Amino acid sequence: MPSVSQLIRVKVLFFGRLKEIAGRTQDSLDLPAEADIESLFAHYAGRYPELQQYRSSLVASCNQEFAPWNTVLHAGDEVAFLPPVSGG
Amino acid sequence: MAAPSTDIIALVHEPIDREALAALVRGNGDGAIVIFDGFVRDRAKNRRTLYLEYEAYEPMALAKIQEIAAHIHNQFSVHLVAMVHRLGRLEIGETSVYIAVSAAHRSAAFDACRYAIDTLKRTVPIWKKEYFEDGSIWADGELPPLPSATSAVKPAS
Repeated sequence: MPSVSQLIRVKVLFFGRLKEIAGRTQDSLDLPAEADIESLFAHYAGRYPELQQYRSSLVASCNQEFAPWNTVLHAGDEVAFLPPVSGG
Repeated sequence: MAAPSTDIIALVHEPIDREALAALVRGNGDGAIVIFDGFVRDRAKNRRTLYLEYEAYEPMALAKIQEIAAHIHNQFSVHLVAMVHRLGRLEIGETSVYIAVSAAHRSAAFDACRYAIDTLKRTVPIWKKEYFEDGSIWADGELPPLPSATSAVKPAS
């Protein structure tokens, strides 16, 4: 059972308008063990309130694979928040 | 130049050499190449476009394009696939995405090329920002399907 004081460090990437709102392309964050992608997003929505309105129109990835919001994170994971894609 | 024995998957920051790519997928056993050449239109929703900027989550985008190519080889009788997307600033008329599929017969090449561009537009993490005389916007896009939705177990029928 993980200790509540245990922290994991994850890398976070922002793209498109999220990058503009956060004013950065990437960040590194320490989270409680067992944190999931949803709680990671909530952290940034707290820091950058404008992000919240985009929550329902984003998908997330973990280690470069699309990932459900309840994906539990591990130390060293690379998480990205991805707006609707518009390549082509 | 000898034809390569592998597909060509790339994200580039310089103009795409369309003729070279078409030549690279062309083999003596092929009877057809179907090409999709996507380029920058001079307007979007009745506003005059000045230029576009594309950005990508590059390692994931490359992996997703590779998945598309792998799926094509599983599903269609094709020889080689080239899929190249350009990033950075693009001017009107410049090619942003170029897909070439070679095959012994046209039907497989058409089907594979259509699958390639449709799937790229839906699932590859690339974003386009449109610049107009009076501002700029991120283009409306498509939300990729999450694995939880696509991998749901279907009841036997």
